[in-house]
Amino acid sequence: MNTNQQHESDDPLRKVLHQWVVDSPLPPRFQEQVWQRIAKAEKKPEAALWPAILRLIEVALPRPKFAFVYMAALLVLGVAAGSWTAQIKTNRLHSDLSLRYVQSIDPYRADSSNQ
Amino acid sequence: MKKGGFILLLGLLLGTAGFLGFYYFGTSSCRAMMQDPQPELAWLKKEFNLNEAEFARITQLHEGYLPQCAERCRVIAQQNRKLKDLLAKDGTVTSEIQNLLIERAKTRAQCEAEMLNHFEEVSRAMPSEQGHRYLAWVEEQTVLRAQPMESRHNNNGGNRMMMEEPHR
Repeated sequence: MNTNQQHESDDPLRKVLHQWVVDSPLPPRFQEQVWQRIAKAEKKPEAALWPAILRLIEVALPRPKFAFVYMAALLVLGVAAGSWTAQIKTNRLHSDLSLRYVQSIDPYRADSSNQ
Repeated sequence: MKKGGFILLLGLLLGTAGFLGFYYFGTSSCRAMMQDPQPELAWLKKEFNLNEAEFARITQLHEGYLPQCAERCRVIAQQNRKLKDLLAKDGTVTSEIQNLLIERAKTRAQCEAEMLNHFEEVSRAMPSEQGHRYLAWVEEQTVLRAQPMESRHNNNGGNRMMMEEPHR
């Protein structure tokens, strides 16, 4: 059956469909339910995050190149964070001790707080 | 999964070890200073690159200065107590109160002069360059430091306030 013939045979059906009027009311809270379904559908990719992480651990991490990069990155991160934290602590201690020295020799600064 | 999990854990352990190691070595000088009987003097030694002989001399000067400083503080505290009693007894500023205020100001001035003498002595016990640096720093931190009384009338504070509200 070609397309023209199909159109001709559909004509009565089209006529009937055009005459059809929907007069039944929408179910209660129809719009709200539609939005809820949309929201549910949008949440699906988030829920798939955990399986993606598991897949990454299972598949990508055992590859030697990836494992090396991962470990090197964590080591560099740890070293940098350790040095940075130590530097902050050292600076704070030096500042505290210099104030303690000044307070020990200057009675007018003896009761002053960290400034 | 087992191998991946193992690599994940190993990476985390490596990162933690790197953090702890660098933190431990980075703060070793701090721990050494805090273990000293006088950490503030240990800081002075490190800050001004003092050798053992210079440090021993400065420690001696410091220990000699502190009892004198404490004695002057005791005198000032005594004068403060006396002033308080007099102010409570007499409702007005009597000549006795005026004399006591002058006496207390003299003691305070002597205290500052002795403090400057001590700084000079300490700076002379240091290598020349460090001594100059010490003197500039310590004077800035003590006698040259703006007190709340003076800073209250600085250009940005008091004058502006007076210009803005002249008839208050």
